[in-house]
Amino acid sequence: MMLHEKDLLLISNPDNRRTAGIQEARRQMGMKPATVLSYENLLRTWRRGGGLAELVEFISPSPLIRLDAPGEDWEVERGLLHLGATDYDVSDSKVLSDQVPSFKELKACVETDLPSSLQKLKRESFSAEATLTLEQQWGRIYAPAQWFRGWKVCLDRIAQEAREVWPGVQFWNDPDEIGMMFDKRECQLHLMRQGISVPPILPSSEPIQCWEQLRAAMDASRMHRVFIKLACGSAASGVVAYQVNPRTGVEIAVTTVGMETSQGQTLFYNEGKLQKYTHPEEIRTLLDWLCAEGAQIERWMPKAMLDQRVYDIRQLVMAGQAGHAVMRLSRTPITNLHLRNERMLPAEAGLPDPHMSMIQRVARDTMLAFPNSWSAGIDVMLTSGMEPRAYVLDVNPFGDLLYRVRHQELTPYEWEMKLLRKEPVRHA
Amino acid sequence: MQEVKLVVNYDDYEEGIRMETLLQDLAAKPEAATLESLIIRDWGQAYENSPQEFKDTLIQLAPSFPALKQLFIGDMESEECEVSWIVQTNLAPILQAFPNLTSFVIKGSSGLELEPLQHSKLEELVIICGGLPKKVLHSIASAELPELRKLELYLGVEDYGFDGSIEDVLPLLEKGRFPKLEYLGLKDSEIQDEIAKATADASILEQIQILDFSEGTLSDEGAEALLASEQIKQLKHLNLSYHFMTDEMMERFKQSGMSVDVSDQQESDEDDWRFPMLTE
Repeated sequence: MMLHEKDLLLISNPDNRRTAGIQEARRQMGMKPATVLSYENLLRTWRRGGGLAELVEFISPSPLIRLDAPGEDWEVERGLLHLGATDYDVSDSKVLSDQVPSFKELKACVETDLPSSLQKLKRESFSAEATLTLEQQWGRIYAPAQWFRGWKVCLDRIAQEAREVWPGVQFWNDPDEIGMMFDKRECQLHLMRQGISVPPILPSSEPIQCWEQLRAAMDASRMHRVFIKLACGSAASGVVAYQVNPRTGVEIAVTTVGMETSQGQTLFYNEGKLQKYTHPEEIRTLLDWLCAEGAQIERWMPKAMLDQRVYDIRQLVMAGQAGHAVMRLSRTPITNLHLRNERMLPAEAGLPDPHMSMIQRVARDTMLAFPNSWSAGIDVMLTSGMEPRAYVLDVNPFGDLLYRVRHQELTPYEWEMKLLRKEPVRHA
Repeated sequence: MQEVKLVVNYDDYEEGIRMETLLQDLAAKPEAATLESLIIRDWGQAYENSPQEFKDTLIQLAPSFPALKQLFIGDMESEECEVSWIVQTNLAPILQAFPNLTSFVIKGSSGLELEPLQHSKLEELVIICGGLPKKVLHSIASAELPELRKLELYLGVEDYGFDGSIEDVLPLLEKGRFPKLEYLGLKDSEIQDEIAKATADASILEQIQILDFSEGTLSDEGAEALLASEQIKQLKHLNLSYHFMTDEMMERFKQSGMSVDVSDQQESDEDDWRFPMLTE
């Protein structure tokens, strides 16, 4: 007997490898193609006062909705910055032009009016109007905090509208939980409370919003080597490995973030290759920005090594099962670069079975902390030393885009589709 | 060969585990009696803590390791501690405590001393670091190491502790200081050209078979001097890997008929700076 298959609504950027991969997997597994709704279309519809209901005509009264990664599409980036603008009223889809000065041209300003700031909070901000005419500068990281605010609004609104339109709707990954996974600060705290091992968070009595506070906190807890990660960054975007020599005061910051200063304004970029900053002024500029935009700051735990390269593991978990795993190796502290780092399968690398079991166990346990989500890619590191321990570094709700790796002879997307049939999503 | 690696990682150190204890545990095992190689990796936050923490213990335990031939202190990667941040101490007393040692390898030079450097059986001394203090060069120049066959020193850069000049290197280019020396590595240096020029007609070439000038800032200037030297041509091998020579100069080496490694050609950065390999 054929089980009834739920219709799948895929909200994504349709032209990317993710959407193509999912559709191909469904075809391979003999399933109906997913209905695809683009973020671009959805955001545009919202801007003109419309909603989800008018965009998708469904046969099924209770579809399964998969939200996919919103990245790599400039229109969507702008749309999310628009949603996150402080002068934009989400409920009304209106620009509050009276309250906040609007910027006619592409222009960033500095927000200084946020609470609890004796120090200036150098957070980049664009007005709602300015976002829609932003021209893309390749690689530039635009107002991360604003982008993330927009992304969370987007998630909330999808959840709310979908539940209104289809009372029986189910989400592949719950939008709330996606938001939590995306926010590295919230996610790591949540995991810690659930008893999952995560690198210790830099203790601080108040939120760290600038380099000075960061250094004070590092000195106070004698944590001389930290990772500072943009709270909402994906992959290696906005990740800095920072260390201060407690004896000499020498500082080193290794990162993919590039900086360019002109006319007193510094722009921040994703660089294809690793940057190493050693000048205190540069480091200060970088970390002031990162801390102001919102950062997860945790102890830099030395990772286990293989042939003089550090590694960590992306472990996929779906329907409670540990599936595909990929090792990411690097000669630098930063392993999750897309471009230059090597990837290997744990078996090729000769990773011992007990280590692999430990990784799978911690990845499955991590997923239990997100009861309303069905799949994620969990980044796990092992510590260096004789008896390594596993720590969870990141939970990626869209972490299933992995190439050249098979589990039970299936690609990640094929395996997901197979599991979807066997063990359909049960949570709401 | 029996080899043991000991490491105190971050968690271990925070939990109070110390290299001292690992050494005591190892000494109590039966395999200690036949152990030939001991590699001491990270001893825990090596950017703050020096081997002083376990030095006396290791010296006291030396009789438990009668077969030990090789000792490496500080085998760690930048993931654990930047090489120029590794805190060392005077390691000569450790060397003296192991009279049968033939190979001694050290990584890290901050606070490093080797005084007095005397050993009747040591055949190999290697110091890997970002910058070797001249004080250590002086200790080596006045050392008594009658069996030394291989001397490999990363000289590094001023920023990471090389406070000397060519004058501090010259004594190592005199013949007979170590009568059995066959392998001389003066490498990873920011004054690699000066060293090459000084070596080209140095008396040490009468006894050396392998010369290692790799990982430094060697350019055509130093290379020219090497090519012009008849004694350099007599070497069994010349290692110039990682260098800043031009294609033409590399070609001349290839045509020279010498056994020479000119791999890993580098390019000066935009400001025309040349950096040795191990400068982090």
